[in-house]
Amino acid sequence: MLQFPPWKVALILFVSVFGALFALPNVLNENQRESIPSFLPSSPANLGLDLRGGVSLLLSVDAEQSVTKQLNDLLREARAKLQTTRGDNRISYTAIRVEDDAVRFRLRDNSMSDRAIALMREMNQPIGGPLGAPSIEVSQAGNGEIEISFTPQRVEEIMAEATRQTVSKLGPRLDPDGLGEILVQPSGENDIIVEAPGESDPERLIRVIEQPGVLTFNLVVEDQNALNEALRTGQPRVGNIIRQSVTGETLLLESDPIIEGDMVRSSSQGFHPENNQPIVNFTFNTTGARLFGEATSQNRGRRFAILLDDAVQSAPRINSAILQGSGFIEGSFTVESARELATVIQAGALPAQVNVESVRVVGPTLGQDSIEAGALASIIGLILVAIFMLFAYGLFGIFAVGSLIVNILLIFGALSGLGATLTLPGIAGIILTIGMAVDANVLVFERIREESRNGRKPISAIESGYQQALSTILDANITTLLAASVLYTLGSGPVKGFAVTLAIGIFTSVFTAFVLTRWFSVIWLRATRPTKLPM
Amino acid sequence: MLMKRLPIEGKVDFMSVRMFAFALSAVALAASVILIPMKGLNFGIDFAGGMLVEITKPEGAEIEDIRALANELELKAPNITEASGTGANAEETFVIRAALPDEDEVATDADTNTDESAATDQEIDEAQRFIDALEAAYPHSDVEERDWEILRRDSVGPRVSNELLQAGITALAVSLIFMLAYIWFRFQIAFSVGAVMALLHDVILTVGVFSLLQIDFDLTTIAALLTIIGYSMNDTVVVYDRVREELRKYKKMPLKDVINLSLNKTLSRTLLTSGTTLLALISIYVLGGEVLRGFSFALIWGVVIGTYSSIFIASALLLHTGLTRDPEKLQSADEIFSKS
Repeated sequence: MLQFPPWKVALILFVSVFGALFALPNVLNENQRESIPSFLPSSPANLGLDLRGGVSLLLSVDAEQSVTKQLNDLLREARAKLQTTRGDNRISYTAIRVEDDAVRFRLRDNSMSDRAIALMREMNQPIGGPLGAPSIEVSQAGNGEIEISFTPQRVEEIMAEATRQTVSKLGPRLDPDGLGEILVQPSGENDIIVEAPGESDPERLIRVIEQPGVLTFNLVVEDQNALNEALRTGQPRVGNIIRQSVTGETLLLESDPIIEGDMVRSSSQGFHPENNQPIVNFTFNTTGARLFGEATSQNRGRRFAILLDDAVQSAPRINSAILQGSGFIEGSFTVESARELATVIQAGALPAQVNVESVRVVGPTLGQDSIEAGALASIIGLILVAIFMLFAYGLFGIFAVGSLIVNILLIFGALSGLGATLTLPGIAGIILTIGMAVDANVLVFERIREESRNGRKPISAIESGYQQALSTILDANITTLLAASVLYTLGSGPVKGFAVTLAIGIFTSVFTAFVLTRWFSVIWLRATRPTKLPM
Repeated sequence: MLMKRLPIEGKVDFMSVRMFAFALSAVALAASVILIPMKGLNFGIDFAGGMLVEITKPEGAEIEDIRALANELELKAPNITEASGTGANAEETFVIRAALPDEDEVATDADTNTDESAATDQEIDEAQRFIDALEAAYPHSDVEERDWEILRRDSVGPRVSNELLQAGITALAVSLIFMLAYIWFRFQIAFSVGAVMALLHDVILTVGVFSLLQIDFDLTTIAALLTIIGYSMNDTVVVYDRVREELRKYKKMPLKDVINLSLNKTLSRTLLTSGTTLLALISIYVLGGEVLRGFSFALIWGVVIGTYSSIFIASALLLHTGLTRDPEKLQSADEIFSKS
């Protein structure tokens, strides 16, 4: 017992010093932290949003919508394929449409059905390589129609892709300069978590998030009769669409755009050269510039509409071919809204609609107050527990309190070192650990007392006390660790923080009680060789 | 020293009063089981969905004014309370809660856009609508030095709240099963039954108290319940370990006396650990502010109940669950490992 091997002492010192070094930045201010030499850890524990203040949003991606979009693309592809058939092989069809999650069309000549099915199957793109599961199913329905639908695997893939893409587009939208600490991460199947520390206005974020950002340039059909006809029947001719402009004008447009938003390379807020109103400048990429140049030179004299999310922003007339590959959108913008719009256009359109499911905002004052309250509660809790232990165990109480202080250092060290996040319930977890950490010490001390009453000498009483308490301490802490791990999987930020500190606290308190307190006892035993235990 | 003066080698006959304790627990459990569906739980917005706004008191604003404002805006089921805030120099605050409007109600308001998604966002905007009205009613004199401010605001839609509630219930069930399995593995089934009965007892009584006092029941309460399960289990395991040890030592002593002996031998540890934990928890309850109050209350209650249940439920049930005194089945972990 009295032989405490040097490697153990080294381990204790190593762990304690390491813990203290990692814990140190938490009590320093910004300037002091900067003066820490670079080889030493200098980052404090991450504070959760509930302590720093900020906005946290839970979004859901309407992934089904993205499946519908893909079905429409499939329809276009199918039609294009059918139209390539010539002569005897020509497949003549009618009533092609998307209905009940499938592309359907009717054959004029039913004897062509095998050929049509084979042709449609060419659109299959096996998932994950040539040997993967098929992406589409083609069959002839009971009523003789050809039916093309996505396989369940493909639907799953589309939905996962929608969430992934949304995450990657939201990042640059929310944080265009890449400076902020806004976190965008997927959660569950089709959910996205957005956390913006220091932000206090969720409306701004929500506006930027929810804007679909679909930008297209469509030619205006300048045929008043056709427009009137379309308005009367409510159904424009095939290939045309009706859209309102922001100024209240109703326009008939060609439904196939000449340019789409993904051909925009960059976009920024600027001012109109003539009237000085805020505008959104944009530059096309090479493809966009070429297409725009062609379209403008072929359609000189016509108007084209700049459509953003189905509203016509402006519809300028093409006076000459525009070849420099850039332009601007004017509308009734403020500087702020023009800047937001530029960011949205630059990041690109979202693959599917995003809905806000929950909004949580913690103001900066509350976070600071919570930290102060938590710190105060910890210190008072620690003092009370220390007094209690001193009364209960005297000298050994001092050992236990010494261990407890190292324990707290280690918890903070581990939090900073692991880059874990400290939340308000996490602070409560630390305080709870302060109360519970002495348990292992108490179990050992009670055993020592018992052994001592049974007539054992101090040294052997201490030795047997530690030995007998071990299995109990392990059992008791493993159960708490099990509860903490279930808590961790329960998820949600603040509660997760609690689970993490609780789990860290279990490890550090078993270490301090079993190794550190024991070491203190051994030092004392060696120094004084007592005949009676002071407890 | 304090503990020396306590009756260390206590001779408390816990087991003789067990029938009384069983009766007491049975009444309390029955009361909880009746109370919970009758009075319901005061679900916080995590589980009920809805909006919550906490602000520091605008100068000259009384709770009635805020209530009137909420009614004027036709907030749904508004509930406005005063709270003491967080921190040493805490200001008085108002906490405003309301349900979110139903989707169909909103859909009729929102012009032509009747699809579901637009409705969801309208609901979420309810807190913003209220804040806009507040700022109009109590304009800030100076942007830099605001005379009142928003401390926090939450809006939780119905889908999220349902999912959270389900996740919470699942977590409780899973952790109970884990505990059952662990005790079964480390002891024997008779111990396992007693331990899990004690845990169920603690969980039901805690939920019962939350129903009785109508304290906010939210995600942190579930966290507290899981911690209580961990703590109560911890306490029970310490006693069980002792019972097993004494059973090996005193092969002929009646089971009842063995349990009494074990409880007495662990009594001062039980009191000390509960004592230090309670001290720490009371310090959170008093100083930790509004946000942690429900959480620390649950834990304080749980420590008291958990200590009680490990003595009077978990240990006492050992007399009734067909414990085997076969020495083969009473090995401790060390022995099992050293043999194999």
